[in-house]
Amino acid sequence: MRSVLEGSQAAAEAVRLARVKVVSAYPITPQTHIVEELAKFCAEGSLDGRFICVESEHSAMASVIGAASGGVRTFTASSSHGLALMHEMLHWAAGARLPIVMAEVNRALGPGWNLWMDQTDSLSQRDTGWIQLYCADGQEVLDTTLQAYRLAEAVNLPVMVTLDAFFLSHTYEPVDVPTQDEVDAFLPPFVPKFRMDTAAPLSLHGVAPINVYMEMRRSIQMAMEAVPEVFAGIEAEFQTRFGRRWGAVDAYRLEDAEIVLVTSGTAAGTARVAIDQLREAGEKAGMLRIKMFRPFPVREVRQALAKARKVAVLDRNCSFGAGGIFASELRSALYGAATVPVWSYITGLGGRDVTVETIMNLYTRTRDAVQPETESVWLELKEELLQA
Amino acid sequence: MKPQSVAPLALPLFLPMAAAPTTANRTGSWSTRQPRYQNKTAPCSSHCPCGEEIPRIEMLAARGEFAAAWRAILQENPLPGCCGRVCFHPCEGNCNRSELDAPVAINALERFLDDQAHRAGLAPGLTPLPSTGRRIAIAGAGPAGLAAAWFLTLLGHSCEIFEAAAEPGGLLRYGIPAYRLPAAVLEREISRITTLGVPIHCDTAIDSGFMVAARARYDALFVGCGNGRALGLDIPGGELASDGLAFLHHCRAQDPAAVAIPGPATLPVAVIGGGNSAIDIARTLVRLGRRATIVYRRRRADMPAFAHEITRALDEGVELIELSAPLALSRQDGHLELSMQKMRTGEPGADGRMRVVPLPGETAALTVAAACTAIGAAAAPPWAEWIADAAALTLSHSRLYCREAGSLPVILGGDLINREESVADAIASGKEAAIALDLLFRDGMAAVAPGVAQSRVGAGDSLSLEVYLGGPRASRSRRVVTWTDLNPDYFTPAPAERGRSLAPAAATGSFAEIESALEEEQALAQAARCCNCGLCNDCDTCRTFCPEAAVHLASARSVNPDYCKGCGICITECPRSAMTMEEPLS
Repeated sequence: MRSVLEGSQAAAEAVRLARVKVVSAYPITPQTHIVEELAKFCAEGSLDGRFICVESEHSAMASVIGAASGGVRTFTASSSHGLALMHEMLHWAAGARLPIVMAEVNRALGPGWNLWMDQTDSLSQRDTGWIQLYCADGQEVLDTTLQAYRLAEAVNLPVMVTLDAFFLSHTYEPVDVPTQDEVDAFLPPFVPKFRMDTAAPLSLHGVAPINVYMEMRRSIQMAMEAVPEVFAGIEAEFQTRFGRRWGAVDAYRLEDAEIVLVTSGTAAGTARVAIDQLREAGEKAGMLRIKMFRPFPVREVRQALAKARKVAVLDRNCSFGAGGIFASELRSALYGAATVPVWSYITGLGGRDVTVETIMNLYTRTRDAVQPETESVWLELKEELLQA
Repeated sequence: MKPQSVAPLALPLFLPMAAAPTTANRTGSWSTRQPRYQNKTAPCSSHCPCGEEIPRIEMLAARGEFAAAWRAILQENPLPGCCGRVCFHPCEGNCNRSELDAPVAINALERFLDDQAHRAGLAPGLTPLPSTGRRIAIAGAGPAGLAAAWFLTLLGHSCEIFEAAAEPGGLLRYGIPAYRLPAAVLEREISRITTLGVPIHCDTAIDSGFMVAARARYDALFVGCGNGRALGLDIPGGELASDGLAFLHHCRAQDPAAVAIPGPATLPVAVIGGGNSAIDIARTLVRLGRRATIVYRRRRADMPAFAHEITRALDEGVELIELSAPLALSRQDGHLELSMQKMRTGEPGADGRMRVVPLPGETAALTVAAACTAIGAAAAPPWAEWIADAAALTLSHSRLYCREAGSLPVILGGDLINREESVADAIASGKEAAIALDLLFRDGMAAVAPGVAQSRVGAGDSLSLEVYLGGPRASRSRRVVTWTDLNPDYFTPAPAERGRSLAPAAATGSFAEIESALEEEQALAQAARCCNCGLCNDCDTCRTFCPEAAVHLASARSVNPDYCKGCGICITECPRSAMTMEEPLS
């Protein structure tokens, strides 16, 4: 059924359709609508699950870790400082190989306090062992959340489904909501590969001595390495059932593109408009949206950019001391496979608009430059505020 | 297009996992302290003269276990139907719940439980201890004597009650009007006691001759016959005022309408005094179609009568003249003239009550049909001399006399002895006397005071038969739980409700009972408001919060020392202070 939903509601609807048994979350703007909606579903009984109220995000993650260890489907959601507070438990969830799914709304970290879009919160968690999938619209949030359970349960790794603050979390769009039967056919009940059971006591996650720890870590990396292929299979099945496919990377007018803009999240929507205008002006411009950040889809990215002459990355995040994070990852991925130069641009932090003009500006700079700057270039800065 | 399925993965899932549970690690061995379940004392219980285990009564009532709740009352108080109507309920005055919203309606719940038991035809179900062969004579079938008989009988002693009046009940029958305490309620409570095998001989006053003969027939005498001598009005013409308590007595002993009240009905009857009797006399007069004016030397706020009874009296049309001390009474043509000295407030006295002093030269006169006094009573002979005798063991609610070897032990209780002349204190005195005599018979005089002291509830004078008999309550800590000992997170405001009252206009037309009992739903809700201070009610919060899953439920709740690390979360979370930390671990 086609409904008009907020990105937050699309996430909550997917959780309901996934028949999640335990939801535990601590509210934080701009994630609040997701948990409000789920608390309502649990209270009214439209979701046959328990909503566990907790006093912090650390406890929220601990609660879903406990519930998932008991062998049920779980969900949580957070953002910004809330996600940062979960950090220790994020490592735990992945190390414990629990198929937890989380919605993460990308919001800036303070100080200064800022509620708006910035990807640095989730990107700071890139080494925790969580699969990260960045969405661009409400439909993709719903679809990806359903796929996330399949993916997580297949490889025994937790999945973070990421939404841009407000641009996606609080924006209403038409969303095709599948029926419960359709979802049940795609996503059967969770059959855990191991679980805590008081009737058959066992110890989980105790000491891993020197002689086994490294192999345990390796098994996590092996699962991560399998993700792009597993996800492609899940997406293929999803497409046959629902007619939609998003891809680990999402190419737009790339066939003969010479200059390729790389971005993620809702900035891709604006970029499409810019690309269309550039094409009309005769420019050979294209766009690659990276949806899967962890594991980084090296093969897919290399393939998509094989013919590009220049690559310009628009990052709405910053690793201080290094620069745009997607740009860094992309350079690493391309290194040794292609010699295409990669321009790194940072803009849109803390909710600042990324407009078509921003992208035109970025494109022109890239086209006219001979080689990229060593450091990331910050676009549309108010230089007068930065006088020493 | 046929849905594709994803091929099963052959990925290693290499986890730290062992078939042996972590219970092998006895983490409790690190602990230096350990919580234990320790029920404590609630302030309501320690302030209840009868020492009722109110938190448990309300816990049972809240679960709908009305019979068990009623029997828990009877363990400590044989007259819940009366007390549920007329008690001054210090329990509510000391209820911790006052810190949150309003006290639990303990008094109304007591009445509800007794009414419910009566409707259900329940028997008390308390079995007296085996007979000791001891026989006790009891003077007075008022609340003190009835209670003494109840508790002595439960302790295995054989009792007989001697009552001077025509019917048993004492002030419950003759001092409290039917609109507050219907005779049927009193009678069913008395029959509960006679059913235990206690004969009541009415129209039989205990005199000196009886005392002489009693030595041969009895092992002890309990005297709970109350203050038999009404205090007169010591003013010129004071003899013109009649005794108000005698008036109430007549109104209960016969059809009230047949009681003659002198003087014209157009004029008020002056009622001199400020206690509950004054209020009862005035309201009885109103019900007999007469006007009543209460004359009191202090302020309304200083009246010993219950505030809500004063308000009801005024609503029913009783007038009140405060700060007016009677100066003289004189007979005029067919009526009386009461002259009064106007008073003003002075300094507070040693008892905390405001003293009043005359306003020089300011007097007033009141034309009344008649005057009656309600200014108290004193011990009648021979008990006045007994009280004056210091050679007694003085307990909080009784005095025990063992004058010489071989003499009949005599124990005085009730209004003769009590500082607080209330029904609950009279019952307390009957219980104290029963325990004191039981101790005397078993272990001699030296055992009485320590034995009674060991049976107290909390820090005050409140006394428990169950504690005396070493029942489960005996293991309670005497520490009285305060609001700050509770975990306020578990208690949310909820409205306090009482039974319905007849409107004043409807109430004054008859002697019908004014207050109705709580409805069952109200009773359940009111009992659920009780915080069960100091009493584990199996809310399971400790087990829910224990991070080590060390709280075990077997026949009793316990903390498993093998896994308790002594973090104290259970104690912090316990809503009602029913746990205590033991440290250092012995």
